[in-house]
Amino acid sequence: MKVSIRGSIIDLLAFRGLPGKREKRFARASAGPLPVHPVNELAERIHPSKLHLVVTEIRDETKTTRTFRLAPSPGSDTRELPCFRAGQYLSLKASFDGSRISRPYSISSAPFEASGPDGCYEITIRRVEGGFYTDHIWGTWEVGTQVESSGPVGLFYHEPLRDSRKIIGLAGGSGVTPFRSMAREIVLGDLDAELLLIYGSSDEEDILFHGELGELESRSAGKVRVVHVLSCEVVSLEGCEQGLITADLIRRHADVENDSFFVCGPEMMYRFLEGEIAKLELPRKRVRREVWGELTDVTSRSDFPADAVGKRFQMKVKMAGVTSEIPARATETVLVAMERANLASPSLCRSGECGFCRSLLLGGDVFIAPESDDRRAADEKHGYIHPCSAYPLSDLEIETPGEA
Amino acid sequence: MAEEMAANGGTYDCIVIGSGNGGLGAAAQLAAKGVKVLLLEQHNVPGGFASSFVRGRFEFETAMHLIADLGSPTDKGGVRVFLEDELGIFLDWVEIPEAFRMIVTDPGEEMDVTLRYGVQDYIEGIEKAVPGSRESITSYIELCMEVVDALTYLGESRGNPDRKVLTSKYGNFLKTAPYSVDRVAAALKVPEKAQAIFHAPWVYLGPPTSRLNFTVFAGMMAKLISFGGYIPRHRSHEFTSALEARIRELGGETRFNTRAEQVLVESGRVVGVVTSRGERIATKHVVANVASGLVYNRLISPASEVPEIAYRESNARRFAASALTVYLGLDAPPEKLGLQEYSYFVYANTDTDDVYESFGRLAAPKGQATACLNNALPEASPPGTTILSLTTLCRPEAWAEVKPQDYVKVKNESALGLIDHFEKATGTRVRDHIEEVEVATPATYARYTGVHGGAIYGYEPDSWDSLIPRMMRMNEEKHIQGLEFAGGYAFRCHGYSSSFMSGQVAGLLTYASLLEEGD
Repeated sequence: MKVSIRGSIIDLLAFRGLPGKREKRFARASAGPLPVHPVNELAERIHPSKLHLVVTEIRDETKTTRTFRLAPSPGSDTRELPCFRAGQYLSLKASFDGSRISRPYSISSAPFEASGPDGCYEITIRRVEGGFYTDHIWGTWEVGTQVESSGPVGLFYHEPLRDSRKIIGLAGGSGVTPFRSMAREIVLGDLDAELLLIYGSSDEEDILFHGELGELESRSAGKVRVVHVLSCEVVSLEGCEQGLITADLIRRHADVENDSFFVCGPEMMYRFLEGEIAKLELPRKRVRREVWGELTDVTSRSDFPADAVGKRFQMKVKMAGVTSEIPARATETVLVAMERANLASPSLCRSGECGFCRSLLLGGDVFIAPESDDRRAADEKHGYIHPCSAYPLSDLEIETPGEA
Repeated sequence: MAEEMAANGGTYDCIVIGSGNGGLGAAAQLAAKGVKVLLLEQHNVPGGFASSFVRGRFEFETAMHLIADLGSPTDKGGVRVFLEDELGIFLDWVEIPEAFRMIVTDPGEEMDVTLRYGVQDYIEGIEKAVPGSRESITSYIELCMEVVDALTYLGESRGNPDRKVLTSKYGNFLKTAPYSVDRVAAALKVPEKAQAIFHAPWVYLGPPTSRLNFTVFAGMMAKLISFGGYIPRHRSHEFTSALEARIRELGGETRFNTRAEQVLVESGRVVGVVTSRGERIATKHVVANVASGLVYNRLISPASEVPEIAYRESNARRFAASALTVYLGLDAPPEKLGLQEYSYFVYANTDTDDVYESFGRLAAPKGQATACLNNALPEASPPGTTILSLTTLCRPEAWAEVKPQDYVKVKNESALGLIDHFEKATGTRVRDHIEEVEVATPATYARYTGVHGGAIYGYEPDSWDSLIPRMMRMNEEKHIQGLEFAGGYAFRCHGYSSSFMSGQVAGLLTYASLLEEGD
């Protein structure tokens, strides 16, 4: 077979002429610099790797919860707050008492409030008794305190491509924070959805954003409805439900055949709701759960090896070419051991989900609860773990990338 | 100065910047030769675009539709030879069932053709759709095969081919190298409709067939038609993790979350690398799995070491398109959804210029490459579910004006446009079954790789900037001693196989210089 395009000789000459043609192109081109592409700037504005924030306001919500308003720290390279989707969280980073830690907190304010020169985020935190970080916050945070944070992250948000326009929010305690964000965005902002919030608290005093939720409800033209569920024995609040959020209770208030469920609350509540939601026989696509962080008590699990309870181990951690030897406990995650030793991990979710703390397990055994094991298949095969969801069962050796 | 650097960040024979396919290939090749190599990656996983991510009960492939140059264990392609024979990496590969189903939807232009790989199957498939095309398609495939043979010969001759052999045995290769796909197909008198079917995978390379260089396209098509397409069982992440693990086993080092910020150059020669952790690492060799334009503009330090011509060269070249990908985890099995094929090309029409032009707008792209993973790999997701990824190319200029506050709306509208076109073309309805969804835009690709404009390939392989001219000018375009390029921006052009194999070449070139230097 002999092929010719413009004639054999011309084709061969064209072949020989290729380098010359190329040189001509180069000679004609500009010698100027390559500017940063607007798409790269967009990416950086949507997903900055770090935010430098400052506390601008502190409000007490209940006896144990406070809302902190955060704004870009003047003079820092954070000049605006990235947009986010109602339900997402910030991973705060802090160094104190010889530790380097991260903690995820849902943004309780609405996306529309983050935009513009006076934009802010709010996070609402419940003080944990003896909590390492919340004690520090209560003890030290005041207006003007500098806070280091990730950009907004997380997968707990209404997605019109996937979810029904009608959201049923099941919240417990401080798990109401992402729903405050959604409700505010529906009523005052730009979220085209409806929210039925079924919100469990222990008693009336314990309800977060009580007045505000009521106000939003009344201004929402039916788009936001709130059902309070109080678990205390004696209930004085008018119109509330008494007891726990059961399948029957949900059925009484919600269209369980069509709407999308969003669940956020403490681990205890998830455990209880697991059974109740099962009774509703919902397809998986209609139930989304916010991750809940570390397990409160890993040893209470029936699949946790009983002989590991109470054990202490040694861990060798190789980070950016430097190896450290640190102590670890079977009852605390590998991530917590690293944080106690001031080894900075790029962790965000602390729940096994986001994968940013991904590390290579070079030796030893760990326990990973199946429901917080979101590793890639090949990672599992090659011995990678997410330290935030892995509990040491022996002395360990890991290689971890460290904060970027 | 070299001693100061050694004290701070150590000394390596070679530093590979970026762990995309090209960087991984280079680092693995160097480690296999016993070279002390350090691989730097800014992200926390290897692979660049070749990766995976988990949402709920689904693990999505980020980029790969198929690898063209793998071949079977008994008829090995270049990638398999490199992986298995050179590097000792054996992966669980899955052959994809059919070549593709191509659907054209504009009224009056409708087409719906499914082809299988294998020379005879491919010819028969097109003959069936376009009776009378058998002869020209047969010649067309023969020509593509000759191009691959010629490229193999060039590779074996290590850049010093015997001119006589080239002209006598590979004349057709020489004569077609300066032309576009369209010019060559027309010269072979391939009927237009048969061209349209044959050319359906053009989006895997980017530019419309009026500009896309024939050599690059022929190389890909010949390999696909003779070897078929393969995917790794556990997504690209399995491929890249295996490479990264092997690099370490062979004595190489890898560091994640560590970006190369500067390539230090003195008197035209690489002397070190500065990382985002502030380390200064001494090395005389760098393999950059990065676009040359970014290396010259952002990495080389001091900038005075970059000759003016280097800027002109990179400015003359055109960054390939970025992409918009909709990853769907569906809560019904493929058969219930009516999805029978693995690989779909859905086009509004067969005018590739018109389709490419639509990639410059935000709404309603006129072409997409869509993969239903479970039709190659039934257990890719839990029983009763399906993974479907819809991808369209997009020129990043279209995204340049998007404001952060409009970003979600814009990306969702584009995503819906893709879903809509796919559903209409295939007569399926997938939108009611979306359990998980993620939409990647040019900004997403830019975020995770840092690449200019989120370009997912390399520089567009127009005929003047295709494999052959890049190769012919390789020495003249080398401006800094000790610096080699790997990946889609390197001389082999892009594509999953090519970018990976370019790493082998960069590794071998670096190894040869190390031997010469006697290190």
